[in-house]
Amino acid sequence: MKELNAIGKSVRKLDVLDKVTGEGTFTADLHIPGMLYAKVLRCPYPHARIKKIDISRAERLPGVKAVSCHHNTTKVKFNCSALMTFTVPPHQPVLDEYLFGEVLRYVGDEVAAVAAESEDIAAEALKLIDVEYEILPAVFDPLEAMEPEAPVLHEENPAGKNIVGGKVQIPIGDIAQGFEDSEVIVEKTYKVPVQKHAQIEPHAAVAQVSAGGRVTVWSPTQNPHPTRHIIAHLFELPLSKVRVLNPPYVGGAFGGRIGFSGKAEGIAVDLAYKTDRPIKIVYERDEDFVGSVTRHSGYVTIKIGAKKDGTFHALQVETVLNKGAYANYIDPVGVLGGMALGVYRAPYQYFDGWSVYTNTSPAGAMRGFGNPQGAFALECTVDMMAEKLGMDPKELRLKNIIKPGDPWCLPYPCQSTGLAECMNSGAERIGWKNRGKLNTGEGSVRRGIGMAVGTHVSNSWPFCGDYSNVYVAVQQDGSLYVASGVPDFGTGIKTSLAQVAAEALGVDFSQVYVTVGDTECTPYDTGSHASRSLYCVGGAILEAVEKIKSKIFEYAAEVLETNAEALKLKNGIISTGDGSKHLSLKEAAYSAHLQGLQFVEVGRSAKVNAPPWQAHFAEVEVDTETGEVKVIKLVAAHDVGRAIHPGIVEGQIEGSIIQGIGYALSEEICYNEKGKQIQTDFANYMMLTAEDIPEIETIIIETLDPTGPFGAKGVGEPAMVPVAPAILNAVHDAIGIRFNEIPLKAEMVYAALNNSK
Amino acid sequence: MNKKVLKFILNGKTVEVSVSPSDTLLDVLRDQLYLTGTKKGCGKGECGACTVILNGQAVNSCIIPAMKASGQRVETIEGVGSKDNLHPLQETFADMGAVQCGFCTPGMIMSSKALLDQNDNPTKEQIKEAISGNLCRCTGYVKIEEAVQGAAEIIRKQNNG
Repeated sequence: MKELNAIGKSVRKLDVLDKVTGEGTFTADLHIPGMLYAKVLRCPYPHARIKKIDISRAERLPGVKAVSCHHNTTKVKFNCSALMTFTVPPHQPVLDEYLFGEVLRYVGDEVAAVAAESEDIAAEALKLIDVEYEILPAVFDPLEAMEPEAPVLHEENPAGKNIVGGKVQIPIGDIAQGFEDSEVIVEKTYKVPVQKHAQIEPHAAVAQVSAGGRVTVWSPTQNPHPTRHIIAHLFELPLSKVRVLNPPYVGGAFGGRIGFSGKAEGIAVDLAYKTDRPIKIVYERDEDFVGSVTRHSGYVTIKIGAKKDGTFHALQVETVLNKGAYANYIDPVGVLGGMALGVYRAPYQYFDGWSVYTNTSPAGAMRGFGNPQGAFALECTVDMMAEKLGMDPKELRLKNIIKPGDPWCLPYPCQSTGLAECMNSGAERIGWKNRGKLNTGEGSVRRGIGMAVGTHVSNSWPFCGDYSNVYVAVQQDGSLYVASGVPDFGTGIKTSLAQVAAEALGVDFSQVYVTVGDTECTPYDTGSHASRSLYCVGGAILEAVEKIKSKIFEYAAEVLETNAEALKLKNGIISTGDGSKHLSLKEAAYSAHLQGLQFVEVGRSAKVNAPPWQAHFAEVEVDTETGEVKVIKLVAAHDVGRAIHPGIVEGQIEGSIIQGIGYALSEEICYNEKGKQIQTDFANYMMLTAEDIPEIETIIIETLDPTGPFGAKGVGEPAMVPVAPAILNAVHDAIGIRFNEIPLKAEMVYAALNNSK
Repeated sequence: MNKKVLKFILNGKTVEVSVSPSDTLLDVLRDQLYLTGTKKGCGKGECGACTVILNGQAVNSCIIPAMKASGQRVETIEGVGSKDNLHPLQETFADMGAVQCGFCTPGMIMSSKALLDQNDNPTKEQIKEAISGNLCRCTGYVKIEEAVQGAAEIIRKQNNG
C-alpha cells in the first residue's frame, strides 16, 4: 500500500482557531452600515385565507421602513428547497408556495414581514398589522388527510387526495407470489415522529441590493448555488446578478437548510429591495422550531417472507409520510424505499410509498432523509423474524445482507461492503454473546443488548441533479488554491478537501488553501447534503489535479530536458525517478508565471454513487418501575470506505448517534387539536445533554470503494440510521416486549409492562 | 428612551455603555460592544450558547438584565487566550475534535473555563455537570469532554510548575 502523507491523519482543522477564539463570523454576527432588522408575522391558524390585511398602521410606526405581505410581494410560485432547482425529468418540481401567501396552511406560516431600525421596533410593528382571516377546516394526520371528507390543501393532486407529487413504487418480481412461496412471514406497522434539526444557530439571512441591482445574500444555507437559483427564480433575476455566500461559518444544518433557511433569504431580499438598505433577519428559537422544515413523520409497514432456513424470499415496504403544509423535499419517500430494499437480498421486493399534505409544519430533509424511518421499521421486523425462526438476529442478517454482484433495486452497482466485518467486530465489542443472559432477575432494572444494520448513499445521483465542479489552481508561489461551492457547516469538509488535494498533487497539507461556500468565486456545486461533499468534491479535485499534474510535468520536462512520463511530484518537488533532475513546484510555478502560464483547472465529479454500511449495537437498561430506558453503551461499526480525517469521521458518527438516541427515546414534535406546535423551545424539545450520553465506541472499517476519492464514501448521515432499531431491539432483549413507535417514552414502556402482567 | 449608564469590568478592562432597561447582558456584548463571539441560540437561557463568566460563575447572558453586570467582572470568549497564546481549553478543543460547527464552542469553553478555574482536576461527572447547560447538536459531546479533560491535565502541569 502506497504510503500516504496527508490522508488518514486527524490534522488540526483549518477553521478551528476562528471558532475557539470567537472570531469566526456567523450570519447573525454581520453588521453592515445602514442595516435594518426584520421580523415576521406568522399565522395563528392551521388553515386560513386572508380576507383582508392592512399594513398601514405598521408602516406608520416611527423606525419602520417597509412592510411586506402578499399584496406587495412577488407572486412567483416556488419551493423553499434546493430540490426545485435540480429535479430531473420526467419528474417535475412541486412549486406550491409563495413568499407570503394569501392562503395559509399551518400555524406559523408567513403572513407578513417588517423591516425597521431595530428588532424591537420591528416586533412592535407586527402587532399593528391588522389581518382578517377566514378560518378553513384543517387536518393533521396523513391518513385522515386522504379521507373523502378531509379538506384539500393544494389544488393539484393527480395521484390522489392531498398526495404530494406522485406515488413511488419499486416492484421487483411478483410480490404476492413471493409471499405465497415463503414459509415464514412477519408483518408490522410502525409509527415515526416529527424530529427537528434544532441546530444551535437559528435560521438567519442578511441581504443587500446594490445600486446596480446586484443582490448579495449571506446565510447559513447548505447549498449556495441552488439557493442563488431559488432567489433568481423568485425575484425574476439573471443568475449572474445574484451572489449567495456563507459568512463564512454556519452553525450546523443537518438538512434543515438545503435551499432556504426557513424563508429567511427570500424575506431578506424582498425587504432589501423595498428599503434600499441591507436587511438582517434572525429567527427566534420558537420561529426556528415552527417556521422551518422537519423530519417526515408517518407510518411504515414492513412484511418479510423467508424460508425456514432464514433465507429472505420476499420483502415489502410501504409508507405514508406526513408532508406537512408544503412540498419542500418530497424525496424522503423514495429514499426510504430504496434504502430499505438496499440492505438484504430477496428475489421478490416491493415498495409503495407517498407523502400527504397536512396542516402542520412542512417536512423536508433531515439527516438520513427517509432512511432512519425505514430502517427503524425494517430492523425491528428483522429481529421479529429471527425470533420466529429461532435464529440469532446477527446470524440471520449475515445470511441475507447484500454482497457486490447481487442484484438490487438501486441504479448503480454495489462495489464495496464491509457490513459483515462491521457486524462481527461490533458484536465482539458489545459482548453479543451475553444477549439474553444479562439479567439475574433481581432488582427493578433489566439489561439488554440489541443490534441493527443499514446502508446509505454517498450523494444523490441519479435521483436528482447532483454534481460538483471545483476550481484548482497552483499559485505563483507553488501553493495550491481550491475553490468549492459546498459549505462547511461543521463537517470539516474544508480540511478534508485540503488533505485530498495535498495528497493528490504531492504537496504538504500546509500548502493548500481552500475556499468554500461562495457562488461568486466557485463554479456550480450542488452543495452539502446526501453525505456527498467529500465523495463528490474530493472526486472532482482528483480529476482537476490529474490534469494539473500533466500540465506541470509537460512544463517541467522542457525545463529539465527530460520526458514528462519520467517525472513525479512528491513533497512539492518535481523529479525524475532517480532524483538526478529536480525542480521545486515553487520554482516551476513562478518561472511558468513569468512565461504567462498558470497551472489551473476545473475538475468535475463523476456520475457514480457508493453505499456506506453500518452496524450498531446497543446495551440498554430498562427500569421496570418507571419504564425509563437508558442507553449504557453504543458500539458503532462503520464501513466508510476510507477515513480521510479519522477524527472528523468519528465526530460525524458520534454526533449522529446522539441525535439518533434522541429520535429513539425523547425527541418529538406534536401538535395540539388546534394545530399549534407544542414543542417550540429547548425546555420541552428533549435533546440529549452531556449528562445523558452513553459510552460510545466507534469502529472504522475501510473497504476502499473504487469510486470514492482514495476509497472514501459518505459519512455524514449513516450513523443516524441504525440507532433507534438497535435500542428498541435491545429493549426487547431486556424485557421481552416489542415496541413499534418512537420516541419510546417511559410511560409507554411502563404501560406495556403493566399490561403484560 | 430611558437610558442608563452601565459600567463594568470586561475581560479585565473597565467599559462604559449606555443601556435601555430591557437590554440583556448579551445585547450589550453583541450589539453595543460588537463582541460577537458570545452567541444567541435561544434567548431564554436554555441552550448555553450565550455563556459568559460573571464573577467567576458561568451564566447565560441572554437572561441577565444588563444592569446586573454593573460593577461586576465579566469574561467573554474574546478575553480567553489569544491567537499567539491560546488557553489550554482552546488548544485541546482545536486539536481533539471538540469543534464542529463552532456555534456552541464559545459558550462551551466559558462553562469549561469556569469549572477549571475552580477545579483543575475534575471528575468525568463534574465535567458533564459543568457543560450540562450547553447544548451541542454536532459533536455528541464525546470529544468535548475529552478536550476538557485534556485541558485540565495541561493546567495541572502548569499549576504544579
